[in-house]
Amino acid sequence: MEFLQQYGFLMATMLQQGLLGLSLYAPLMAGQLSLASPGFYALGGYIAAVILTNPAFAGWRDALGYGIYPLTWLLGAVVCGLLGVVVGVPALRLRGIYLALATIAFVEILRVLALNLSITGGAVGLFGIPQAFGFVDRWQYLWQFLPLLILTLLFFHQLSRSRTGRAFRAIREDELAADAMGVPPTRYKVLAFVIGAVLAGIVGSMSAPFLNTWNAKQGTFDASIAYLAFVLIGGSRSMWGPLLGGALLTALPEVLRGLADWRLVINGLVLVVASLYLPQGIVGSLGRKPKPPIRPSAPPRDEGPVGPPYTPETL
Amino acid sequence: MDLSSFLQNVLNGLAIGSVYALFALGYTLIFSILGIINFAHGAVFTLGAYFTYTLISGQFENNGLLKGVNLFPNGSPLAGSAWGFALSALVGSVLAGLVAVVIERLAFRPMRSRGADPLLALVSSLGVALVIVNLIQILVGAESYSFPDGIYGDLPGALLFKLGKKTIIIRTVQVIIFGVSMVLLLILGLVIGRTRTGKALRAVAENPGTASLLGISVDRFIVITFFLAGLLGGLAGTLVGSSFGIAGPYFGVTYGLKGLAVIVLGGLGSIPGAVLGGLVIGLAEAFVPADYSAYNQAVAFALLFVILLVRPQGLLGKLQIQKV
Repeated sequence: MEFLQQYGFLMATMLQQGLLGLSLYAPLMAGQLSLASPGFYALGGYIAAVILTNPAFAGWRDALGYGIYPLTWLLGAVVCGLLGVVVGVPALRLRGIYLALATIAFVEILRVLALNLSITGGAVGLFGIPQAFGFVDRWQYLWQFLPLLILTLLFFHQLSRSRTGRAFRAIREDELAADAMGVPPTRYKVLAFVIGAVLAGIVGSMSAPFLNTWNAKQGTFDASIAYLAFVLIGGSRSMWGPLLGGALLTALPEVLRGLADWRLVINGLVLVVASLYLPQGIVGSLGRKPKPPIRPSAPPRDEGPVGPPYTPETL
Repeated sequence: MDLSSFLQNVLNGLAIGSVYALFALGYTLIFSILGIINFAHGAVFTLGAYFTYTLISGQFENNGLLKGVNLFPNGSPLAGSAWGFALSALVGSVLAGLVAVVIERLAFRPMRSRGADPLLALVSSLGVALVIVNLIQILVGAESYSFPDGIYGDLPGALLFKLGKKTIIIRTVQVIIFGVSMVLLLILGLVIGRTRTGKALRAVAENPGTASLLGISVDRFIVITFFLAGLLGGLAGTLVGSSFGIAGPYFGVTYGLKGLAVIVLGGLGSIPGAVLGGLVIGLAEAFVPADYSAYNQAVAFALLFVILLVRPQGLLGKLQIQKV
């Protein structure tokens, strides 16, 4: 019990960040680098925060009791899913770094809106968000994040074995070839993007009570990059990678707490060193060697001292 | 909107837009050679401003490990005259360029030689940015610093023009920012377009493999590119810092993000595109009505989003057709 008192908040945060890593991993399953997750996370959180604090929803809160919390998750999921379709359909015509930049723009636009609208509490944000289900300790939020995590992992596991999962992989490996084989890339890419949006939205709406306050700092470019680091450093080829990356990189600053001011410097160094020495991510380096592809890939071409060509398409 | 406020907006827009262009050129140079975006560029911008500030004032009185250290106990010889400021800006920018070379050596070259996923370069350059920004904070604190008065020597603070009943204000800083940026952009254009070094740079950008076969030392030109990018970024930081003050270690982050909008708007990898993109975004921001100025920060990203959907290759970029 004492252990939970002391480390429960950190553990719940680790799961929460791992889930956000997974929300960035979802579009990556279909080969799409989207950094939109923090935008959907912030939106989901604002939906929950507004419903839980705004006087306009007092009637709902009285009528539903604890049922209001699952309702905020549902609304977060639905709104983020719909917005995901609206943003995804035009944006997923873009490839590689262009999609990444478009999603950075999306996150920034949402952030500026959140800073300036009155319903989101402007720069101050919304505070005094009640604890979910009358929780008295932060560790109890494990009851929220752990089931969501298990469901998400089961969902991703089933997905990867389904027709949709195979279509995702086909597009990830070679979009043109997949298209030629009759897999419609746009539909599957939007689907993968929306899965990530819905997951980030639910995590956001669960996190508003968890963090007690919600403001525009929840959805920033820094967060985009943090989640990307979770995925790349954990390993981008398996769902365990983002989870492990999210949990470890969240715990790292806490572990380094004794170093006070230097911990963010060390954190930056870890990112540099890990990208240099663990290019496959932690899970990729631990796991079995990937099965050799059926069609042997061409022997590595010598591109001179610069390595492979860095065209936008290789991103 | 009457003529005088129109002209005032144009002037403001051109001044800030030319800084965006100067800063974004660093992104574009590196992107055109390596095809990656160097997210540490915003940190180099910040460093440039701090380096110049150090040369001008010699001390950071607020906070951090360097509190109480004074580089020039008898007052900086560079303070108080326009030439002193010019020299400090030059030295500060060169130092920023050298830092960019170190970043290339530590974070980009090892990855290139391993043929790593270019996405990892994003993460590692961000790691570098995190290190730089937090080192600045440890050394000199998170406080903002403003350049002392009189860095432009005897030049007047602003020029006033009468236009009918209204007055147009042109701040000296704005003229200097615009002039310096345009001269540098012109020089850079000439170097890249007309000299042997520029030709080699273009060859490396076009195809590094072939360039190295033709006897061009690719690594050397990558170092030159990073130095130029860092120099331009550091100078942009100095100019912004001298105009609005240095708002703490994180003040490059906003510019770092806006720079992305600039290069995409102009066309990734296109040098004239970066200039055009910078000016367009600067002007667009200047024309946001005062009532909506809070939304100013979203203008660049709205433009970025729209241009990606309408014309993904940017205003001046070339369309790349995906081949099998």
